[in-house]
Amino acid sequence: MIWPFVAPAAAWLALLFIPLIMLYFLKLKRPVQAIPSLALWRQVMNDQRVNSPFQRFKRNLLLLLQILVLGCLILAAMQPYWGTGASRAKYLPILIDCSASMGALDKQGGTTRLDAAKAEVRKIIDNLLSDQLVSLIIVNSTGRRLTDFTNNKKLLSNALDLIAVSDVPSRLDDALRLTQALARTYPIERALFLTDGNTPSTVDLELPFQVTMQLVPAGGANIGITELNARRGTERWDVFVRLEGAQIGGGAAKVEFYQDKELLGSEQVNLDPKESQRLVFRASADKPSQITVRVLPERFDSLASDNIAYLELPILRPLRLYVDPDLAAFRKALQPLKGVEVLPIPGSTKPKLVNGYDLVITEDVGETVPQAAVSMTVGQIPPELSKLVKIETDFVKVVDWQRNSPLLRHVQLGDVQMSENPVSATNVEDRDYEQQAYEILAHAARGPLILHKDRDGKQAFWLLFHTNRSTLPYRVGFPILVSNLVQIAMQQAGLAEVRGQSTGVLPPRTADPSTTYTVVSPDGLRQEVTTGNDGQLGGISAPRIGKYEIQRGLATVTRTSASLLQADETSLQFVDTIQFREISIAASETRQATDKPLWTEFAIAGMLFLALEWWYFQRRPGGW
Amino acid sequence: MSSSNTTRFTTLFDNSVLSRLERLRLNPLRRLTVRSRGEHQTGKGGTSTEFSDYRDYVPGDDVKNVDWNIFSRLNRPYIKLYRHEEEMNVVLLIDASTSMQFEGKLDLAKQLAGACGLMGLMNSERVSIYACHHLGKSPELLPPCSGRVSLRRIFKFLEGIQGGGDTPLEAAVDAVLRTHRGRGVVVLLSDFLTLGDVNPALNSLFSAGLEIHAVQILSESELHPEITGDIRLIDSETGDTLDISGAAELFGIYQDQLAWQEIQLTADCQKRSGRFLRVSTNTPLDSILFDTFRRKGWIR
Repeated sequence: MIWPFVAPAAAWLALLFIPLIMLYFLKLKRPVQAIPSLALWRQVMNDQRVNSPFQRFKRNLLLLLQILVLGCLILAAMQPYWGTGASRAKYLPILIDCSASMGALDKQGGTTRLDAAKAEVRKIIDNLLSDQLVSLIIVNSTGRRLTDFTNNKKLLSNALDLIAVSDVPSRLDDALRLTQALARTYPIERALFLTDGNTPSTVDLELPFQVTMQLVPAGGANIGITELNARRGTERWDVFVRLEGAQIGGGAAKVEFYQDKELLGSEQVNLDPKESQRLVFRASADKPSQITVRVLPERFDSLASDNIAYLELPILRPLRLYVDPDLAAFRKALQPLKGVEVLPIPGSTKPKLVNGYDLVITEDVGETVPQAAVSMTVGQIPPELSKLVKIETDFVKVVDWQRNSPLLRHVQLGDVQMSENPVSATNVEDRDYEQQAYEILAHAARGPLILHKDRDGKQAFWLLFHTNRSTLPYRVGFPILVSNLVQIAMQQAGLAEVRGQSTGVLPPRTADPSTTYTVVSPDGLRQEVTTGNDGQLGGISAPRIGKYEIQRGLATVTRTSASLLQADETSLQFVDTIQFREISIAASETRQATDKPLWTEFAIAGMLFLALEWWYFQRRPGGW
Repeated sequence: MSSSNTTRFTTLFDNSVLSRLERLRLNPLRRLTVRSRGEHQTGKGGTSTEFSDYRDYVPGDDVKNVDWNIFSRLNRPYIKLYRHEEEMNVVLLIDASTSMQFEGKLDLAKQLAGACGLMGLMNSERVSIYACHHLGKSPELLPPCSGRVSLRRIFKFLEGIQGGGDTPLEAAVDAVLRTHRGRGVVVLLSDFLTLGDVNPALNSLFSAGLEIHAVQILSESELHPEITGDIRLIDSETGDTLDISGAAELFGIYQDQLAWQEIQLTADCQKRSGRFLRVSTNTPLDSILFDTFRRKGWIR
């Protein structure tokens, strides 16, 4: 232990002892009294010295008290602190995990993990020395700095009070990148990360400072919903619910299923620690509805936010496709598929729709082509890639393709031949396509054959060769490819499977372009979002579990929900080591030792000595 | 001076006190007398007219001392013994140093000395008075005198004693014993506030055949001092100073010390067949003489 001072220059105040002592003896003009003899008094004094070893001090007790008062005040001015031996950081960023798992209680009616972390931070703030600066950074799905580096305890305390649990997973890397950016401005040597351990175990960062990971005690038993999705069944939705028990303990609970406000059924579950269980029930699909799954724990459940989940079910309808009439092979491959409506119907005089399709398969490029969430363009080069690739008339074979791509799953392209050979321009590499947001799904010898672009919620597949000039329609893989394309479109249209929405960011949706919408969150907060020219309404923050309402003016446009936490959050699992790019950080449950300032203690002691001196000076004679 | 004072025999006492004192005698514990005749009755047989005892006749005894009445009844000769009345020295040693000038201590000492002197003279003792003032100087002396005729002389001497000086008690005793001869009683009238050891002085008095009657005269301020806070005390005799802080805390120790001194002086005097008595200047003289002294057996 060391006992240093923040302001050792204040030691010069010790010179005040000189005038203090001089003034004491100058003012000490004792009243004189003549007595017959000093004989008795001398014996009394001798006796007192023998009986009271501190008589020498008591004789000048007032002076001693004054010296103690001044000494304490000088020490307080020197701002001593009780050193813990640990290196003292001048700039200390404190990262506070406020993800969903930090809302877990330790016991019935106990405190949340975030409250425990805030208590630790409050101790650090209370013990801040005058030359120490702290910045508070919250860690949830992103990192956000609450305060600049400051030693203003009131400011830090107020900021600390504002921190609340977000129903989102923690992403430490964002907060660390933020801290890394701060390190360019401030000489940060160490950062403190307060968490319950429910964080990613790896962070792909190289940090210029040390990270001390301090664990708050873990939460108690928990059971919660980690997945909720529905798959298209025969005129019904099959709804799947996944429940998981926490790492520490699970529990028994009753699970209730509602469609809108109608109770569909309930089930009893009993989960051991780390155990999961999947429940299935059916919901009608004749109209759009909302599924609510509610978990009613029978015993203590540390996390309440994962006990309810919502799912928006659309009405079941056929997938609406636009297929160019000239693409007969596609039309033929689509015929046996159920739930698919292929337009335009040959011979029909209905006008061609511009929008409203779920899938467009075309061989044309331009504004006249209908728009859809999923499209496949055959025999064309994307306009923005016209400088990168050109089509040569030559026979070519597929060299390689991505077998795990949703489009090419179970599709064999090995013996397919094409008479159109896409050739990349000189010095053009795959990276150049990727820079244009295109992914190459199939390669020819000198260029890409199939490209995929996923941008703004729309998926576009480009066959750079025309199927009519290849052997693909005659291969068994072609109907599989078409089926895969339909499945992708169904997924995109929400007709094949509907997944419960996790918290964080609401999925983008299409709305009126250049329009401002108001999103009302479950806790009543309102955020304004303006769509672009493409009408995409995205980037809506959803940090709370519950129902969100999207309004245009005062009218409600639509309602949606975000309810699912990540399974890691529900399981309350914790890591004891975070692996960084070069080093690993071990967690510790012991509280980080911080230097304790002692000036208040010395100031209080000085005041007490002053009061004692006053009492001693004023006390009635003969009181002892 | 009022007219009533002119009728007083001495300024030390009222006449009523004098008349009461004339009927009292000093009562020493031992018979320390001189061979010269006096009215002080000794334990051994003498030639006075006061019968003391009988003893068997032995050859050689003066037959005139045979009690013939007894012989006629018992047919055996018995010698009749009489009390021997001898003179006793009464030495009055007055500590007249500066410390005795406080709060009437010296006046009380002179009154007590006058009373003892009166009783001595009335009992035909040889009374001498020593008043000690300054260290190194001979004490003021009233040579031994006896008889009622010396009464006025004694009172005049006492009335003339002025206080002042720095003689400690032990030095005063040494000075007295340099001039005094004869056994008897010494009455020490002092405050016994000395830094030195009084035991050698008491030993000297005892060796000189003087029975010690020590009277410690203390003022009220010495018995119950009222000193508070930080104060500087000055010794009236030596001028030495002593700084005291928190005097209130010292009262308990002071009282303990005072009690211990009384016990110690009493023991010192009793070891030498003497007596010790502490009196306060606040106590009336009548009470000291006719109550305390009589109850303690100092006078009879």
